Amino acid sequence: MIRFLKLYEKFGIVIFIALGSIFLVAVTPNFLKLDTILNILAQAAHGAIVGFGMTMALTSGGFDLSVESIMALTSVFMALLIPVIGIPMAILVSVLIGSMVGVLNGLVIAKLKVNPLITTLSTATIIKGVALLVAGGRMIVIMQKQFMTIGTGKLLGVPVPIYLMALFFGLFYLVVYRSSFGRHVAAVGSNESAVRISGLDVDLVKIGVYVLVAFTAAVASVVRTSQALIGMPSMSPGFVLVVLTITILGGTSLAGGRGNLWGTLLAAIFVSMIYYGLNLINVQVFYQMLAVGLVLMLALFIEGLRVRYLQAAKAMGIKV
Amino acid sequence: MSTFAELLRTERLTKSFPGVLAVDKVDFDVRMGEIHALVGENGAGKSTLIKILGGVYPPDNGRILMDGKEVAFASTHQSLENRISVIYQEFNLVPDLSVAENIFIGREPKTFGGMLVDFRKLNVQAAEILATLEMPLDVKSYVSDISVAERQMVEIAKALSHDSRLIVMDEPTATLTEKEVRKIFEIVKNLRARGVAIIYISHRLEEAFELADRITVMRDGRKVDTRDIESTSKSEVIEMMVGKVVKEYFAEAGAREAPKQPLLEVRGYSVADAVEDISFTLHRGEILAFAGVLGSGVHGLLQSLFGVVPRKAGEVRFEGAPVRIDRPADAIRLGIGYVTEDRKNAGLLPAMSVLQNLTVIVIRALTFLRVLFIRSVEEMKSFTAMRSRLDIKLAGPHQRIIFLSGGNQQKVLIGRTLLTDCKALILLEPTRGIDIGAKAEIHRILRELADRGMSIILTSSELPELVNLPDHCIVLYKGRKTAEFTRATMDSEKLVAAQIGHTEGARA
Repeated sequence: MIRFLKLYEKFGIVIFIALGSIFLVAVTPNFLKLDTILNILAQAAHGAIVGFGMTMALTSGGFDLSVESIMALTSVFMALLIPVIGIPMAILVSVLIGSMVGVLNGLVIAKLKVNPLITTLSTATIIKGVALLVAGGRMIVIMQKQFMTIGTGKLLGVPVPIYLMALFFGLFYLVVYRSSFGRHVAAVGSNESAVRISGLDVDLVKIGVYVLVAFTAAVASVVRTSQALIGMPSMSPGFVLVVLTITILGGTSLAGGRGNLWGTLLAAIFVSMIYYGLNLINVQVFYQMLAVGLVLMLALFIEGLRVRYLQAAKAMGIKV
Repeated sequence: MSTFAELLRTERLTKSFPGVLAVDKVDFDVRMGEIHALVGENGAGKSTLIKILGGVYPPDNGRILMDGKEVAFASTHQSLENRISVIYQEFNLVPDLSVAENIFIGREPKTFGGMLVDFRKLNVQAAEILATLEMPLDVKSYVSDISVAERQMVEIAKALSHDSRLIVMDEPTATLTEKEVRKIFEIVKNLRARGVAIIYISHRLEEAFELADRITVMRDGRKVDTRDIESTSKSEVIEMMVGKVVKEYFAEAGAREAPKQPLLEVRGYSVADAVEDISFTLHRGEILAFAGVLGSGVHGLLQSLFGVVPRKAGEVRFEGAPVRIDRPADAIRLGIGYVTEDRKNAGLLPAMSVLQNLTVIVIRALTFLRVLFIRSVEEMKSFTAMRSRLDIKLAGPHQRIIFLSGGNQQKVLIGRTLLTDCKALILLEPTRGIDIGAKAEIHRILRELADRGMSIILTSSELPELVNLPDHCIVLYKGRKTAEFTRATMDSEKLVAAQIGHTEGARA
């Protein structure tokens, strides 16, 4: 059992992908075509990008429930700003505004020492309110068709979101595994008091983490808004759950200290595969939510098993 | 006092843990209505003995008899059924419940056919118990709001509500003020007057001699002897506690020359709830030990020197210049390292590898431009250097730290601070919870560091460590310096006496 769980920690998500592929091959004769695969990957992009941020948050021992609202806020500001200051500046300013929510989250969590779950739940509500206020409660249609390129355009036959996903994977890979900041994030998530008496600035690390998560949410919002060509103050309801599913399914521990970025990438692709397959066999949206919820529960169950067995193994003195 | 009838007796009681014989064939007895002091150095087996009586650990061997009949103590529940209550140092109270609720937890008077707690009755009953013991406590206040002494009273009241015939108290006064100690004493004497037997564990010998009818001394898991308090003396008890301290580790280091250059000078240093007006000088290449039992303030002093807890007053000079150390980062910048006594909660990064644990403080220096691209080769070099320097035994750099033995974990934590190139090293309980072999190794490492010029401050609750390792040892008692020893004047009996507040004739 321990061996199985050890394998799962490393390769679990690969098993899921394999099962998903079998399912897709069964329901669609077109699955193995390049177009289908590119489509699935492009649809995985925004979940993966926010998933990278969430991986960081969980690694730090934290949590971010406000990603959905940050996406909505960014989306609204883009729709309002594009006609005024043009597409590039509008993207820049909106992403900055979205990232500022991370500063707020980080400050409250680090300085006021409020639980991350409660903090981000509150900011999620506040920011959603702000987004609705700014948009006047309506969706805002974007007239500038060129903006669609980011979400739906292709470069060398490959959809732009895939490039973005790859770029962010590379960026986060460096931050998580090859930067001193990434090491500090894992250390804070592993044992905060130990890091404090090591003389490191725990508060700064936490603020950095929430800014990064907010940044990924803002960028994902650019992709989504461009695909819809609408500024949406109530964007992607339930998306935060999808992102958590992706991150936990990917093998990042809820206990903090250990993040698995590869797992997050693969899990995002897996979830995208499920959605694609369910759409193809005309399963209603409600059932799709049900499916994601079940996958999350399964992932949490296995994660729980893993932690318990690891403890048991340690108690029995078995080297793992 | 020997006219009292026997209440409890243990026969050849034995309990071992991996590598340690914690309680070794102990014959021990308690009489009805007596206060029985139980004393001994740390690791003497007192805690294990009372945990067996409390039903926490089942004994490996031996019998426990109550009123002459053999009884089983397989669970805390059975222990309570035998009318024994054990009050541990870390209380067993629910902070978010009231005093009354805590006293009757699980046995609250019910109303409405057993559906609801009858709070009126609960409070009245609790108040009655408190009144019989003359405890000035409001039954409705929350345990989280009351003082340590008051919590002690709640525990005693809880024990009494169980109609206990034997109450075991583990260092009840260690963290109390003089006035609170008096109150607890009154209560304990009151209990004795009601025929309750009390096992009283204390590090403060004068308390034992004031309260107890008999005293039992333990050492290395064995009972040394039980005496009537009138027929023994403090110095006799100390002798029994210490036994022969074997100079096993550093017999050869005795002839070291006296160190000269001062590195850290501390004057008039005070820390709230810990120490008052402490002054000392730490020289280069010197090992300075602070000795003191729980409540002496030693830990508070050392934590404050590193900036973990704030100081109240005092001056600190480092390399001759006055410095302020408000946070650990200040201390590290000056070149002071720190190894915690609480490896699990404040030291290890359990989810991470040995390598990552080792380099966590210095990782920025090992990173290109301090930000991106950790220089793996450099990092591995630091690892290899520390591994061979400290002789860390492990499978590889990427092994998770929690799978190392306690001794090797401790070496990693020492290595973590050594990588910062510190000039002074503060260690709290450097060998707590690690096996004998690793202890000797840590001692050797510390001695080698000192010989190469590192200045070391440490505190320990283990006598051999205090007697053999340091060049200079300062004893604190209730927050004040009470004795001082050098290698030449070190005397284990006087050291123990000073630690437990028995200072006559213990001047250095």
